[in-house]
Amino acid sequence: MTSAAATTLAPPAVKPFYFNTSAHLLRITRQKSSTLAEFLNALRECPEGSIFQHTFRTLQEHHFIREGFSNDFAHWALSACNEPGLAEGLATVDVREFTSVEQLRERFVQIVEAFVQRSPAAATRIARETFYFCASDSVVIPTSFVAHNLREFAEGLRGVSVHSVHHHFIEARLRIKLMSNDFSQWLHEDMGLTETARQLNRIDIYTRTLEGVREQIVRVVERALA
Amino acid sequence: MEPVEPQTESELPVQEGQSDQLAASAPASTERPERRKQPRTWETPPSPVPPPRLDDYQGIIGAADIEELRFLARELKGKTLKMVNSTAVGGGVAEILNQLVPLMNELEVGTHWEVITGGNDFFEVTKAFHNALQGSDYKLTQKTRDIFLMYNEQNRQRMQFTEDVVVIHDPQPAALIRARSDSPGRWVWRCHIDLSNPNAEVWGFLRPFVEQYDAAIFSSPSFARQLAIPQYLFYPCIDPLSEKNKDLEDSFVQRVCDEFGIDRSRPIVTQVSRFDRAKDPVGVVQAFKQARKYVDCQLVLAGGGASDDPEGAAVLKEVKEAAGEDPDIIILDLPPWCALEINALQRASTLIVQKSIREGFGLTVTEALWKAKPTIAGAVGGIPTQVIHKQTGVLVHSVDGCAYQMRYLLTHPDFAKQLGENGRAHVKENFLMTTNVQRWLLLIRILLTGGGN
Repeated sequence: MTSAAATTLAPPAVKPFYFNTSAHLLRITRQKSSTLAEFLNALRECPEGSIFQHTFRTLQEHHFIREGFSNDFAHWALSACNEPGLAEGLATVDVREFTSVEQLRERFVQIVEAFVQRSPAAATRIARETFYFCASDSVVIPTSFVAHNLREFAEGLRGVSVHSVHHHFIEARLRIKLMSNDFSQWLHEDMGLTETARQLNRIDIYTRTLEGVREQIVRVVERALA
Repeated sequence: MEPVEPQTESELPVQEGQSDQLAASAPASTERPERRKQPRTWETPPSPVPPPRLDDYQGIIGAADIEELRFLARELKGKTLKMVNSTAVGGGVAEILNQLVPLMNELEVGTHWEVITGGNDFFEVTKAFHNALQGSDYKLTQKTRDIFLMYNEQNRQRMQFTEDVVVIHDPQPAALIRARSDSPGRWVWRCHIDLSNPNAEVWGFLRPFVEQYDAAIFSSPSFARQLAIPQYLFYPCIDPLSEKNKDLEDSFVQRVCDEFGIDRSRPIVTQVSRFDRAKDPVGVVQAFKQARKYVDCQLVLAGGGASDDPEGAAVLKEVKEAAGEDPDIIILDLPPWCALEINALQRASTLIVQKSIREGFGLTVTEALWKAKPTIAGAVGGIPTQVIHKQTGVLVHSVDGCAYQMRYLLTHPDFAKQLGENGRAHVKENFLMTTNVQRWLLLIRILLTGGGN
């Protein structure tokens, strides 16, 4: 996508942005739970890949849903355990506030622990469906999109799959260990566009589909281009 | 963000005065088109169509996703894969392999498909094993063990296992793992059946074979067993380019409806499935009759299995009795080669129902969702994986619940449309053949390189 004309029209980046994406294979783990007490134990013991799968990845798998499906734990607490209060607490955990899966696990454990202490009878009630903990094995895949300037960056954003948007915009914080994302980091560090980077980081991923998130990112980048 | 909403049917929103409005619109015309008894499409199976190529899917999943498959495959170029199952035609496994194998070869991951051979005694034993592993009573004897092992040994001696990855499908050839010591490859057992409640004797006999594999694959976490080997999840999938799922010209859909006497100017509620009590077709008729008190509609029950299965014939008779002389209930006993007609019926439908009371994964639900149809389905088996209540369809647990949802969706077309659109997106993301190709490529990579990134 690089062309001589394009690079003369837009200032070049210090380093190019390489768009990648990721593919995931689901593993069935040993953990499963039929009660909230079992669920709490499984949450503590399951592999990190399970916490990642049922939070970050479920957002990707259900990227077309605008509301009400933020993570599998909340969904199960409501649909199988009929515990709307617990479901609300679990659903409002925002993955963007965590830069490690262990921190995220700890937050879910705290919420379920507190609920079980408040409602001990609910802890041993058999759920309508068993929760099976799965985990993701991930493979990073390069795409053909590379951006040397902001115009190419906007083109790349429009051309890649939503999985690539998820990879750079949502999963990235686990990789870079910052409360940010790959796009904002590049805009800030390699393009000097700190305000644009900040605006991207404020886009709400929980009130839009992932396609809607992509459109919002493109709008912010196009405003910077104008 | 908003928490997930409560799900009980009694909490669904009902507009004030809705029942009165619906009651007022209920009376249906007494004039019905004459219905054909034996449509001509039933007589001969069509010629097989050539399998699609990868580029044919580009218009469906997009260029970026096709490029991802090509990248994953490039890294495996020159690697070889063998698929082994027990039948070349008929049945879901053969159908999947017929589509998967050409795509893998097109991606230059050399894939060979071999079918085991055996006498009637072998297939009688494996049929009994199949049922026993899904919970039926069965007494395992030394004779049945010997028959199973003898034919597996004959096939082991006849076949060669030189590929990088060998995939054995289902229990019938599971003992081929004995060839592993002479084979350089990694071995995978792909189990397509539900092992959640197996006959203990049969599972006890097969388990030592299964645990010699490098990995096992199941269609649902609930179908799996605790095993000492890694277990992966491959959802069943549909091919969007198959006759059952490809886009159709509206003129063809109209022709099929005319053939079967279906009035497209009125709402059409359809259930497509074998005449089998597990699919509760009588319950669907009862739900339809309740719903039609308030909203005008027709019911189409399209299925098969009545001509070659005594139980299917009995169920069909029960359904006809439940339907009575109602001209708005159209019952079609179709042969297996009517995929295009089934596709047309689904596309003509306003709503699709799959009111199963027991179910495997429920691929007819996947087909309905792919066609962006608002879907009402029983909350059993693999259906809740596909139908996320009030997001990609609605789940029901009773005849009354099914009747209510028919009324609700037929009178709330915007909500129904949104369900249909979400359902199609869900299938596109998770249950298409191309996703299955990606899973195979990832698994081969993980098995041969020891992990992901």
